[in-house]
Amino acid sequence: MPELKQQVKEMIIQRLKLEGMTPADIDDAAPLFGEGLGLDSIDALELVLAIEQTFGVKIEDEASGMKAFRNVEALTAFIAEKTPA
Amino acid sequence: MLDIRAQLPHRPPFLLLDRVLEREPGVRVVAEKVVTYGDPFLRGHFPDRPLVPGVMLVEMLAQAAAFLEAEPLLDRPVFLAQILDARFKAPAFPGDRLELSVRPGPGFARLRRAEGEVRCDGRLLCTAKLLLAAGEARP
Repeated sequence: MPELKQQVKEMIIQRLKLEGMTPADIDDAAPLFGEGLGLDSIDALELVLAIEQTFGVKIEDEASGMKAFRNVEALTAFIAEKTPA
Repeated sequence: MLDIRAQLPHRPPFLLLDRVLEREPGVRVVAEKVVTYGDPFLRGHFPDRPLVPGVMLVEMLAQAAAFLEAEPLLDRPVFLAQILDARFKAPAFPGDRLELSVRPGPGFARLRRAEGEVRCDGRLLCTAKLLLAAGEARP
């Protein structure tokens, strides 16, 4: 899990071009959208595509997406659950 | 023939499509715009050499992309949320019959990408990747 969490953070930084940020700057529990990391709905689509390309995990609908996008903790758990062992 | 004004809330001088030639919602749309000396954006762009501003080509593609939606957008407009890429390869002049073709891309929640191109007599003038946002239905 810690490794996957690191990968998730790196994907977010790379894909959303969060310049000057490192994985250590992203709090596991901080909200990704609005306050916290301050992402918007355009970033959400970008993340949906990135997660599919990077981890082969599809986000089927808005509801499961918004649950997964709560924070890095939730997103990592979501990806881990959907990734074939 | 499909009434463009029944689908799009845009009106002259900002209704930039003349006809929808092919329409398969969710799959593909081909629309047409004939450029004329009467087009208001040509008055100043440019007085001595009228040519269609690149951003207007992008707007034409965005309006064509609205026809990817099955439902009319009169009460639920679609907005341009992002221009991911736009390339202008050749100018469009008065008299040009522009063929605007668009296909949908991936989407999430209210957002959906679309890819489009503008051709004239088979010649490629412009390609663009756009992000469109469905607005809230107005009561």
